[in-house]
Amino acid sequence: MDDDKLVMRARDFWASTLLILVSLFFIWRTLDIPLLGGADNAVKKVEWFNSAALVPLGIFTGLLLLSISLLMRSIREGGAARAFNSVGLGWDAAEALRFTTLMLIFIVYIVALVPRVDFINASGLVITALIYGYHAGQRERMLLATATVVVAGVFALVLHFPQSEWNAHGDDWFALVLWIALTALMLWTGRGERMAWVTPMIAIGAPLLLICAMAFAFRQNVPNRSSLIFSQIEYHYYVTLRPLWRD
Amino acid sequence: MDFVLSQFLGFGGAFVALIADPWTYVYMIGSMFLGITFGALPGLTATLAVTILTGFFGNKIPLDYSLIALLGAYVGAIYGGSYPSILLNIPGTAASAATALDGHPLAKAGRGGEALGLTTTASFIGTLIGTFALLIFVGALLLISKNIASPEKALLALFGILLSGALMSEDLVIKGWIAGLIGLAMAMVGLDPLLSEPRFTFGWSYMMSGFQVVPVLMGAFAIPQIIAGMRHVKAGTLLQLSDRILPHFPTIRRYMPAIARSGVIGTGIGALPGVGEDVAGWVSYGVGKTVSKEGDKFGKGSVEGLLSSETANNACIGGALIPLLVLGIPGSPPAAALMGAFMINNVIPGPTLDPAIILRVVAILVLASFTMFLMGLFTARVFIRILRIPQTVFLPVVLILTTIGSFSVGGGINDLYLMLGVGFVAYFMNMLAFPIAPLVIGVILGGMFDEMFRRSLFLSDGDLMVFASRPGAAVLLALNAALIASQLPPVKRAFGRLRKRAA
Repeated sequence: MDDDKLVMRARDFWASTLLILVSLFFIWRTLDIPLLGGADNAVKKVEWFNSAALVPLGIFTGLLLLSISLLMRSIREGGAARAFNSVGLGWDAAEALRFTTLMLIFIVYIVALVPRVDFINASGLVITALIYGYHAGQRERMLLATATVVVAGVFALVLHFPQSEWNAHGDDWFALVLWIALTALMLWTGRGERMAWVTPMIAIGAPLLLICAMAFAFRQNVPNRSSLIFSQIEYHYYVTLRPLWRD
Repeated sequence: MDFVLSQFLGFGGAFVALIADPWTYVYMIGSMFLGITFGALPGLTATLAVTILTGFFGNKIPLDYSLIALLGAYVGAIYGGSYPSILLNIPGTAASAATALDGHPLAKAGRGGEALGLTTTASFIGTLIGTFALLIFVGALLLISKNIASPEKALLALFGILLSGALMSEDLVIKGWIAGLIGLAMAMVGLDPLLSEPRFTFGWSYMMSGFQVVPVLMGAFAIPQIIAGMRHVKAGTLLQLSDRILPHFPTIRRYMPAIARSGVIGTGIGALPGVGEDVAGWVSYGVGKTVSKEGDKFGKGSVEGLLSSETANNACIGGALIPLLVLGIPGSPPAAALMGAFMINNVIPGPTLDPAIILRVVAILVLASFTMFLMGLFTARVFIRILRIPQTVFLPVVLILTTIGSFSVGGGINDLYLMLGVGFVAYFMNMLAFPIAPLVIGVILGGMFDEMFRRSLFLSDGDLMVFASRPGAAVLLALNAALIASQLPPVKRAFGRLRKRAA
């Protein structure tokens, strides 16, 4: 068996173990749903064949059996023996760092920035950070880009955590300053590079175009309507621009 | 014969209505451009193109127009995958992986323009073959499907998930089935369809309505692609075209039997629930290599090899829409995204679907294939320029697109949490070689399976024979059982012995 297959079987060992635990947990949770017939205070309870627990119980039992089968195969083909060391699992520290930083950026963007910070501002910062951090494949840039987004997100969370404060602008200004600083750094370090001057255009243009299309062309709800930049766009769209063709 | 004639007349009416509306061209050309771009950029897929457009157009414009946008992008993206396959030797989508085997050697030999011209024509003919099959078979099957009751529907949904798991898995079939079961389990969240009993909501009111389809699709298809693609990649060598991109009709005429064969294979594979364009491309290529007189030239720049895969992957589109429209079971991952668009418009594909929608779908596919043909011949150099854009530049924009698309469908931040959660799970599943398509098909079909399975038992008062007493149900039960049995070790060993004896 080639090395890639062995690495896969070692990973299967942990995947199947996790799946067994998840299946057992959900089988236990499914048992809370009424399954068997009978009567409660003379009121007939649900029959087994009509119970809401029937299909989930079948699914999680199936998942449990398949996971056990995968675990047995993994053990039989040498996966268990390799599962307890990093080489056997095919651990790649650089790849793990890349994934962790990306995960942090995504979580901070969705959980902290999108609900609280102006969408154009937050998305511009994230686009700049992703291109700056990952285009050249340099570890330092990746860490700096992640730190910038995380600092913006933590600031937003600390300053305006409750939903009642999501419309406040303190975190908008802070994220804007970080975005400008990161862009300036990118332009400085990438003097003469095409990517350095293309990135700010994408970072401003893409979210601006998307949010305007969603709000004014499709008339849909958009995140954080009363934020720093978008509230101004919305005001001028309805007060300054729209009357031009409405009148 | 009357039936075929009435279908053609219905199609004619739908086509005239389609081309008479000026907005058709706006949506068609825009979505076709976007679709070809998504197909041409390695790292973006046809499924992602349809998913993102579902987020944007799904419930924001009338269904008639959103179908133009989604089908235009679907056809364009499957075709667009051939550009990097031929010029970079990197498949733009999984569907065009087999195209690279012969397309790139042709381009290296200075016949890149000819190869692109041939793939454009083959994709055009392939789409028309699939669409023709859709027009003829969907009407006939709809008549039959009116007799399909709850047991057949439950068994069909299960068959779709099992088949998709078996055919889409790159490593072990068991992993495809686990992915399908995870999808089914996700569909169980929320109020159950018969008794409104809350399941696995953990006291969170958002979960009462279950997982929304669009954020799940966005998470499953977009987030893993973005994570996998955000890395420094040395740009591949883009081969320059030294010849013109023309259809080469004499070559097409010469290889017409191969094109027709590939079209039929592609349509047939597309019609299998949950099996996509990539399988169609490879199977057609494999069959072509076996039966062709120039099979030994396959992989070395064979025109027939190129036509075999490219015709089949586009013919698969029409085929994949047959089970979707007749039974409500998506025939491929992009068709699953298309089903999401139907669902958020409260249109339920299946026996109760308005036949006018089917005729409109056929008309849109025909117009899409003509648009693709013309854009492929006259604007190919624009798409070749797009190939130079690094994925670290366009993937961050895809993240923003998916975020605002997911948010706007449900209008809530919870959908974004769901998208992110599903995205991380899908990334790990990709890393562990669990296929994503069965998971998505499980999520989409889970509700139907649960409702139909329990309704069958309810109507039969708990008699399990309800799944075997009707002829259709008995056949489907046998197919499900055979599919599961085929993966059991003793059965596999027995088949292995039989094969050895036959050899």
